[in-house]
Amino acid sequence: MIDDLLGWTEYVPELAGGLGVALKLTAISLLLGYPLGLLLVLITDGSSKLLRGLGLVIVEFGRGIPLLVLLLIVYQGLPQVELTPTAMVSAVVAFTWSAGAYSTEIIRASLAAVPRGQSEAADAAGMSDRERFRFIIFPQAARLAIPPLMNLAVQWFQFSSLAYVITVPEIMQSAYFQGTVTFDYLSVFIAAAFIYAAVTIPTSALVTRLEARLGRHL
Amino acid sequence: MTVHSENGLTRPMLTAQNVTKTYQQHVAVNDVSLEVSQGEVVSIIGPSGAGKSTFLRCMNFLEVPTSGTVTIGERSITIGPDHKSPSRKEVAALRRGAGMVFQSFNLFPHLTVLRNVSLPQERVLGRSRSEADERSRALLERVGLSQKADAYPSKCSGGQQQRVAIARALALDPPVMLFDEPTSALDPEVGAEVLAVMKELARDGMTMIVVTHEMAFARDVSDRMLVMADGGVLECGDPRVIMKQPTHPRTERFLSAVLDR
Repeated sequence: MIDDLLGWTEYVPELAGGLGVALKLTAISLLLGYPLGLLLVLITDGSSKLLRGLGLVIVEFGRGIPLLVLLLIVYQGLPQVELTPTAMVSAVVAFTWSAGAYSTEIIRASLAAVPRGQSEAADAAGMSDRERFRFIIFPQAARLAIPPLMNLAVQWFQFSSLAYVITVPEIMQSAYFQGTVTFDYLSVFIAAAFIYAAVTIPTSALVTRLEARLGRHL
Repeated sequence: MTVHSENGLTRPMLTAQNVTKTYQQHVAVNDVSLEVSQGEVVSIIGPSGAGKSTFLRCMNFLEVPTSGTVTIGERSITIGPDHKSPSRKEVAALRRGAGMVFQSFNLFPHLTVLRNVSLPQERVLGRSRSEADERSRALLERVGLSQKADAYPSKCSGGQQQRVAIARALALDPPVMLFDEPTSALDPEVGAEVLAVMKELARDGMTMIVVTHEMAFARDVSDRMLVMADGGVLECGDPRVIMKQPTHPRTERFLSAVLDR
């Protein structure tokens, strides 16, 4: 009976390769997506009307179009215009776009949440705009932005399962393959669920602790 | 109305000439001039909405005047139709002539008390870290907060935070200190520690402009009192004389309201 209940555990090692791919997809798209988000904040708050419009389009479409649709446009759609990115590259492009769009909003909100008096105190001291941003505004905004940006990472790791649709060999792809071999779909998918939970639940707990730590002086 | 310092021989440390600040239709400060000599303490009093804080904030361009001239020491900026708007650099240079203390303290919450006082010195005056820290510790001692040097602002009471803010402003060696209702956010007992520090500063010869509702402080410490209402100056002069015999009925009304509390 116990053997039956824990039967799924034997599939966990089979999915380890998929976990690696999922983590890689998540990490790359966030390492590109966070800086893209910061860039988009600067562009959409900047003085150039053209860049501002372009940035706004990138952000609004990145947030407005479901990730699954972005994935399919890049992977299935682009070959029609003679662009044939691999499955992994397609996934990175779609995930980065969406991550950039969402982190734009997080970073913008964090910058706006630093009280006006902070800027005034820096100004009154005679600091330059650059010094004010670097030493006063950015450090405080970063403390506010890091927890939601990490929550975004947890979410992005879960979303990596969508890349299964375009044949990226991540966790669900491996699980489905195991299922077609053994027909033990229940155990295989429970094993997949276990892997996701084993990453996301501790990470979320860590974010909660980090949030308290970062916010303790603000 | 122009208000000259009593002693015409000492050079003015700060001059505001015909400063006006309007927001759309609303005139917050209406053609106010003020000359403050070295070592002089000027209190600005008046009902809320009088334009006191806005006028003070025009002195260091936290509010850019709609028109007028502000001179602090050697630096001068004029805003008007015949003048191009000042560069960020010119504004920063003018600001270095005045230290500012805010009603809401505005300490940097992510820095320790010591760093709060040292960082602006390093960035603005180019002092080394050890030089800045040495000066900071001396100033923290002076405001009675040496023991708080390594604490974060969140671990300090309001009165302590305001005294740190005073030390932070003094650390840049400004010739003039601007105080924007420094005790309004504090309960009276805690406000007294802040006022004590300010009294000492005044005694040491610091040039100060203080927007305040602390009538006893205004009477006992300041050399001159500027009474404002509706964006303009009602009267200006010896605080004891004004408080005893105000010439303007509006001043009388205001004084009786605050003194009868």
